[in-house]
Amino acid sequence: MKTNQKKAWLFLAPTIIFVTLFSIYPILRAFGMSFQGGSLIDLHWNGFSNYQYIFNDPEFWLAIKNTVLYAVISVPVGLAISIMLAWIIFDKVKHKSFFETTFFMPYVTSTIAIGIVFRYIFNGDYGMLNFLLRSLHLPAPDWIDDPAMSLTTIIIFGIWSSLAFNIVILMGALRNIDPNFYTIADMYGASGRDKFWRITMPELVPTIAFLLTMNVIGAFKIYTSVYALFNGQAGVGNSGTTAVFYIYNKFQIVGTPGVAMAATVILFLIILFATFLQRKMMKKVGEN
Amino acid sequence: MKRIRLGVLFSYIILFIFAVITVFPFIYMILGGLMSFQETTSIPPTLIPHHFEWSNYATVFARAPFGRYFFNTVLTASVTTIVSLFNSLLGAFAMVNLRFKGKGLIQLVLLSLLMVPGEAIIFTNYNTIAHMGLLNTYVGLVLPFLTSIFYMYYLQSYFGSISDTIYKAAMIDGASDWDYIWKILVPMSKGGLFTVGLLSFISGWNSFLWPLLVTNEDTMRLLNNGLSAFASDAGSETQLQLAAATLTVLPILILYLIFRKQIIKGVVRNDLKG
Amino acid sequence: MDNNKFVEVKNLRKVYDNGHEAIKNVSFSVKKGDLVCLLGPSGCGKTTILNMLAGLLNPTEGDILFNGKSVIKVAPKDRHIGYVFQNYALYPHMTVLQNVMFPLIVGANKKSKAEAKEIATKYMELTQITELADQKPGNLSGGQQQRVAIARALVQEPQILLMDEPLSNLDARLRLKIREEIRSLVKTVGITTLFVTHDQEEALSIGDKIILFNDGIIQQDDLGQNFYLEPNNYFVANFVGNPVIDNFKVTKTANEIKSSQFTINLADMEQSRFKRELPDGEYVLSVRPENIVPDPDGLFETKVDDIELIGRERILKFTFDNQQVRSLINLEAPIKHGDVVKLKMRLNRVFLFTPEGERVY
Ligand SMILES: Nc1ncnc2c1ncn2[C@@H]1O[C@H](COP(=O)(O)OP(=O)(O)OP(=O)(O)O)[C@@H](O)[C@H]1O
Ligand SMILES: [Mg+2]
Repeated sequence: MKTNQKKAWLFLAPTIIFVTLFSIYPILRAFGMSFQGGSLIDLHWNGFSNYQYIFNDPEFWLAIKNTVLYAVISVPVGLAISIMLAWIIFDKVKHKSFFETTFFMPYVTSTIAIGIVFRYIFNGDYGMLNFLLRSLHLPAPDWIDDPAMSLTTIIIFGIWSSLAFNIVILMGALRNIDPNFYTIADMYGASGRDKFWRITMPELVPTIAFLLTMNVIGAFKIYTSVYALFNGQAGVGNSGTTAVFYIYNKFQIVGTPGVAMAATVILFLIILFATFLQRKMMKKVGEN
Repeated sequence: MKRIRLGVLFSYIILFIFAVITVFPFIYMILGGLMSFQETTSIPPTLIPHHFEWSNYATVFARAPFGRYFFNTVLTASVTTIVSLFNSLLGAFAMVNLRFKGKGLIQLVLLSLLMVPGEAIIFTNYNTIAHMGLLNTYVGLVLPFLTSIFYMYYLQSYFGSISDTIYKAAMIDGASDWDYIWKILVPMSKGGLFTVGLLSFISGWNSFLWPLLVTNEDTMRLLNNGLSAFASDAGSETQLQLAAATLTVLPILILYLIFRKQIIKGVVRNDLKG
Repeated sequence: MDNNKFVEVKNLRKVYDNGHEAIKNVSFSVKKGDLVCLLGPSGCGKTTILNMLAGLLNPTEGDILFNGKSVIKVAPKDRHIGYVFQNYALYPHMTVLQNVMFPLIVGANKKSKAEAKEIATKYMELTQITELADQKPGNLSGGQQQRVAIARALVQEPQILLMDEPLSNLDARLRLKIREEIRSLVKTVGITTLFVTHDQEEALSIGDKIILFNDGIIQQDDLGQNFYLEPNNYFVANFVGNPVIDNFKVTKTANEIKSSQFTINLADMEQSRFKRELPDGEYVLSVRPENIVPDPDGLFETKVDDIELIGRERILKFTFDNQQVRSLINLEAPIKHGDVVKLKMRLNRVFLFTPEGERVY
């Protein structure tokens, strides 16, 4: 058989063409556009002024702040709950696949549709959530219409949505742990808590690292769930704006694609940096 | 002994609470879609409607072209799924079974691109589609998604687990690459291809930001865009919003419940390797 | 056309992409209709050679000729070969019949379904798998899968059949049975066959001739019995034979060969067997266990450490220079564990090797 089978390029051609056109080119183009001013039909070079603009734009900083806060809160909390639930299902429940199926439902369903339901449940006056809170004599804030609550609402919805993927992946990882580890631990009389912290958690480290990366990347891209919760807005008075919201707004509504692309480049760098930071952190954890 | 039992009980309670929290929005969505307007805004909230208002659905269909949305969504999701599956299949075959110069480079580029978030390129892609004059067309809706690095990568790992002597045997038996792909590779990877197809169809069904960008005519909208527009228009008529949301979610939920095993297995498999 | 060189391999060399030189320099030829065994330890490059013959791998250097014509540039499917893979490589989603028919219904010269089925049925009868026609390979035993693989390899009526350790996945008894079947089958069909194995006994029983490989080169290319009687070198002498050959470190001086416990006078050896003049120095004296036997006039005395019974014979085990040495004796000899015996060598059957492995006697 030939060592250089050129026909391979024939089989790869569709992929290469589409990838070049719709993945590689747009990355380069976005980078280029971030140094250009004007509208889409008349772009011209304007150096770093787009970057200057966004760094001086309080709305941009709010978007970044919200996005970072969202990532920093929803990801660890979501992951912790997922680990707890996955462990309970794995360790204590008989009908594992039933619970797995149940918890995975949000992953396959449309964020827009579920966002509409959440908007209803979160409704300040007649929402189910506040009804429950009031009957427990707890404070019942206006989740949707109070600007101060926007981010909290987004975070709760984000955590709810993130459980699905996390639990299923964690269950997969738990099933992969060699059961002999537990048998041996039992022989030495290890308690349930010992087993969890000394066997399960260390074995889960790579999976958790993977989920952390995926979740953080996902969190930085948050858009649709905000759109759904607040009916196309970023919360009352833009209080819940996020990075992608900002980009969309500058690109489509305001019509300054250069600014949008500058923000895209910054977002991309933040994601890259966060991923890198995590890799380092998890390596440290792995070494200990 | 007693402490352990308490611990287990506590675990069950937590599990139960979270299961309810997960499922409740779905149930409430279906029930709410069958309530009357008064019931949706009553305090205390209604859980189960007195009388199922099936007419809500008639109203939804009368107010917005949901039939058209369905058609658009099924069409674009199917086309993206079939074409991207086909392209990924050919690409993955070449990467797994053929030897050629530049393979390592291609693999490296594809893997790096896997890391790039879609949101970073979606706006420039809009630009490209606009330049091609494809706004508000089906072609524009599907074009950037006709190939998927992710699914190609998934299929590579699937094909890679087939012993390479099978390919060698086929070569000696006189099969062409095309014969090998369709008579051996595809039948042998039916499960994997089916799972990838399902996942792709589901993500096509739920796509939102891209169609939002490239369509603004009502007749070209996809289900989720239609739904979100409808939700804005229906304002405070929550029962109609929920009925429309049910319409959007239910088909995919049914598909999911039928193929839950394949879907979950597929998700676990491709992500542990990734 | 030279029927003695139906398959001819010239100076074949293969360096893998990672720089590993699996085949260094290999030349051999195969007579038309012969069944030749390629024998060698695991990892010595047997599969590599077979893959090059099949066209699945490109040789780095050298030439391969089938029927006098170079096939280096010929695609696998056009080389008129059948290949039975080490793991059989049956298509798991097809039935046995579909597997066997597959080569006939794909590619340039495909046949009609009916014709293909007829030919497939013929070969399935020959390999006795007709009843299995509708089974999937997953449901078959190793032996049955193996027959399906052979039927599939034969169905294109190739001129050359390549088999890569076709019996290694079978249990010992089945292996004995099937290797006889394979031999009679390929002889019935009259096909030239290269059969790869790492099992010397298998090679000896099945092959018209054997080519023994190691380290990427041919160690000996010969008839089976010659590997016993006239091994080319130290490796061959030690690879072939069960129980393995006994080796003694010796030093040659003017007219003697001395070990730590015995001395042999060179004059007692068969002069015609010396391959060349021997300079004084270190050598290895090797003798097959059946040629070192208890005898009152023996060369040296030793204590029997252990006795192992193998069928109709017994192996006496004793220690010499801290190494185990064996002697094969018949069942009736009245020797017990712990006895001290005198041992004698049949000097016209021993071999002498240089420390590099070259045979000099
Ligand atoms: N694709 C490859 N790249 C690099 N080295 C390889 C490759 N394939 C095989 N080798 C090496 O070449 C040598 C010969 O391999 P080969 O498979 O031909 O051995 P073999 O004699 O068939 O062994 P076995 O009896 O175990 O099947 C081995 O050391 C192996 O590790
Ligand atoms: Mg081999």
